[in-house]
Amino acid sequence: MNTLSAKSLFSGKAVKYLSVGYITVRNNFVYLRSFFIRSWFLLVILFIFVQLWRVTYQGEGNEVIEGYTYEQMIWYLIFAEAIILSSPRLPVKIEEEVKKGDVGYQLTRPMSYLLYHYFSYLGEAYVRLIVNIILGSALGLVLFGWPRLGLGLFGFLIVSIGSFTVNYLMTMMLSLTSFWVEETRGLVFVYQKMLFIIGGLMLPLEIFPGYLQAISEWLPFQTVAYFAAKAGVHFEWMMIAKMLLIQLLWIAILSFLLRVVYQKGVRKLNVNGG
Amino acid sequence: MTLAIKVKGLSKSFAVKHKKTGFLESLKSLFNPTFSEVTAVHPIDFQVEQGEIVAFLGPNGAGKSTTIKMLTGILHPTQGSAEVLGFNPWQERAKLAFHIGSVFGQKSQLWYHLPPIDTFELMSRIFELPRADYLKRRDELIERFELGALMNIPVRKLSLGQRMRCEMAAALLHRPQIVFLDEPTIGLDVVVKHKIRDLIKEMNKEEGTTLFITSHDAGDIEQLCKRAIVINHGQIILDDTVSNMKRQFLKHKTIHLKLQEVPGQFNVPGVKLVKQKGAGIRLSVDTSQISIENVLSYIVQNYQLVDVTIEDPSMEEIITHIYEQRREEVD
Repeated sequence: MNTLSAKSLFSGKAVKYLSVGYITVRNNFVYLRSFFIRSWFLLVILFIFVQLWRVTYQGEGNEVIEGYTYEQMIWYLIFAEAIILSSPRLPVKIEEEVKKGDVGYQLTRPMSYLLYHYFSYLGEAYVRLIVNIILGSALGLVLFGWPRLGLGLFGFLIVSIGSFTVNYLMTMMLSLTSFWVEETRGLVFVYQKMLFIIGGLMLPLEIFPGYLQAISEWLPFQTVAYFAAKAGVHFEWMMIAKMLLIQLLWIAILSFLLRVVYQKGVRKLNVNGG
Repeated sequence: MTLAIKVKGLSKSFAVKHKKTGFLESLKSLFNPTFSEVTAVHPIDFQVEQGEIVAFLGPNGAGKSTTIKMLTGILHPTQGSAEVLGFNPWQERAKLAFHIGSVFGQKSQLWYHLPPIDTFELMSRIFELPRADYLKRRDELIERFELGALMNIPVRKLSLGQRMRCEMAAALLHRPQIVFLDEPTIGLDVVVKHKIRDLIKEMNKEEGTTLFITSHDAGDIEQLCKRAIVINHGQIILDDTVSNMKRQFLKHKTIHLKLQEVPGQFNVPGVKLVKQKGAGIRLSVDTSQISIENVLSYIVQNYQLVDVTIEDPSMEEIITHIYEQRREEVD
């Protein structure tokens, strides 16, 4: 089985999957306008947070809260929201494929199902990310002028690859439970809320009480929005290296688990549409 | 002749969890589930030679797609063996995938918002085709399927017929030795159906491609296939040439007539009056007793004709007929 293994990723077959990514990017450019429209939601959320944080910073009377200035806090939220809102809606797609039995037909091609979806996920995610970053940055520029983030955008983009990968692995795993349960949305809903809270979408993890921070550090959720957003506002080579390492670790663990779930699931394939 | 598909004693059964009614029962089954075995495919045997066009028929739930899934390596059989192009499908699925193609009338492999050329490009990568080979093959297929004008139009703007032609060409890029076609002409108008069938025949003739077709369209089977395998309840109930099958089961044709005036009695041997409503009548003709030509000339000579249509029994009727006959034999 050629699933998510380093061997197939870096062999000549890489071209195959890069083409999958490339065609998804092209396909998603068609949706560019609707992405822009949908992304206005990002501005609405951000607008609310801007108000909340302004009051908070004024009330505290401090320039810096847990290491973030007001400006950095807003940029943190812009980056974090951009990652979450750019993540494709995989569960709907997979649930449909499993229920209709399309998974089977995909298997008649010399291609790994999981890698195919991974690259197609990345393709879509980055088209959306461009849109979200453009809109978010426009807001940042209006509020604070030219951002003082140093290499932040670079850090954000580097870490975002790991963020999307972890998010893909987790979401795919949850989506594949549709082999066993009729409805996966509940699980996905809980997972997304975990990303929102202990994944650091609403607040940087530094703001949490000590014990919650300690728990979050041992969970994969922080590697999605929190890592990328923090890399965007606090660029530091050492920190980025550490983040990438932790992401890699989670990617290794999660790909292994995903492979187990997938292989068990495919054996159940027969029932649907046999 | 070499064999493309060799199937021996292939069977598949699934364990199906029992779901009982009632809250207590469902609670019980949560901790102590009971399973029963359901046989989707009983041990079946058949062989397909390279270059053959075979119709694989059966009603829904007969075991068709389970069999195809085993032949393409998606499913492991419970028992038995199969060889497809010399490969064991479920053990060498990835290798086999390079040599087989599939066209599913109800599923599209083309990217909806992009022109077909992009999907072609992707296919060339997925099947790891050498660049020069791919370009040559692509141009050849574009010419044969007359796709030149369609290649750069987004798929969503193509008509179903145009799309089908592109689907077929895309499935043939890697020169598959066996193509599995599932309802290739579903939803197409008559002219396009003919065109698609011609293309399928041509592909078989020129490249010696083995074709394994499932369809509910009698026309597909009559015009394309030399041989039909009929499966029902997981068992092969008929494996014969289509001409034999037709001789046995397509003996009846239905004629709908609309005449100028209400006719008198029909006294032609082999022709049965099925229904009459004023000047509109339906006749059932046993073609083993009298040819359609003779019936029609009789009608033209004796009545003033307004309208006439001739119908074959549907494939479903034939299958039902075949199945019922077999069951009688068993009983």
